[in-house]
Amino acid sequence: MSDKKDDHLHPPAAMVDEVSEFEILELAVRELAIEKGLFTQEDHNQWTEYMHTLGPAPAARLVAKAWLDPEFKELAVKDGVKASLEVGIDWINSMPTHFGTPSDYCNLRVMEDTPTLKHVVVCTLCSCYPRPILGQSPEWYRTPNYRRRIVRWPRQVLAEMGLQLPEDVEVRVVDSNQKSRMIVLPVRPEGTEGWTEDQLAEIVTRDCLIGVAVPKPGVTTNGQRPVRKAINPYHH
Amino acid sequence: MVEINPDFIKLDEEMSSRELDTSPIDLLEKIKQEGRVWEELSEEYGVDNPDPPWRINLESTCDQLANGYWSPFNICRPVEEQEEPNDNKIDAIERRWEEDQLVSELYADVPFPERTLLALAHTMIRRGILSEEELAVQMKRVSDRLNMEDGAYEEEALSNVELAKTENQ
Repeated sequence: MSDKKDDHLHPPAAMVDEVSEFEILELAVRELAIEKGLFTQEDHNQWTEYMHTLGPAPAARLVAKAWLDPEFKELAVKDGVKASLEVGIDWINSMPTHFGTPSDYCNLRVMEDTPTLKHVVVCTLCSCYPRPILGQSPEWYRTPNYRRRIVRWPRQVLAEMGLQLPEDVEVRVVDSNQKSRMIVLPVRPEGTEGWTEDQLAEIVTRDCLIGVAVPKPGVTTNGQRPVRKAINPYHH
Repeated sequence: MVEINPDFIKLDEEMSSRELDTSPIDLLEKIKQEGRVWEELSEEYGVDNPDPPWRINLESTCDQLANGYWSPFNICRPVEEQEEPNDNKIDAIERRWEEDQLVSELYADVPFPERTLLALAHTMIRRGILSEEELAVQMKRVSDRLNMEDGAYEEEALSNVELAKTENQ
């Protein structure tokens, strides 16, 4: 008897055992696009594989390093692309294009918060997001409600998302665009003295990096963010 | 203080002036009404993953459909090898703008990312990239394939071999 058998005694992971119409639709749209020559299966596979590797961990690591090393912090604020190399993200030569990811253009700006200045990131036009270092954007970030309201009533929107800021803290909303992507470098919270880089990185959640939350000891996951429809869509 | 992208107002005006046919499409309405969304399936089957397994494929399709500047692979190719502009591709900003309008008018009650998928299919049909009929046919093919019973692939492959032999005789 091999010991290996024992490794398989745990119950199988739960899985959805039916094919939904949406799954079928996704595949049908993709296959027709390939059939019509809009892109190749190979390009799609390569891009998908790359996208599966992305997530917020490198950005959290960048912040933790910056908290511990003033020189690195200076570099991060001055040259986010260069600083990203130290957390394993190469914006310029990253796979699979070897020339950056154009839809997440190669200019990362790291917005440094201070005790009297809080940054929050938005893309008013669509949903530009620093995917190479932060992964896929959350649903609420894509909604017109967030995009239109955060620029007009940032303090109120942040409060709705659970972040109450004192009056003496200035809120600065930064708008992503096709050439620049942003992450927030929040203020290191009290109660983290003597912590290691790993410990610090754990409390830098995705939402802290977008700027709608601040790091807190003991909080390692994103809060539930309500997704609301825009009642009064913003028109110019 | 707000640092807004200076192109925002210009582009928003440009997009708003474009005509987008937001009238319902029967095939997509049927999926909207009868399709089971991931929220429901994952709860029923006790799956933790907040996103359906096809989400990244969808994002990738949207990226691959992007034209010109936004095209993920085009920019890194030598000029002589770059793709010619293709009318059937979809500018990323236009797609997102259309998604916002379609979600607001037709797919507001559908959760994400299912509504992004419906909006993409809607955009492709209304632009004439796909027809509703060919999408329905392709969905049937995909459905037959994904729902094929165990052993059916082998049976189908064998019958194809037999058919080829008969044709060659």
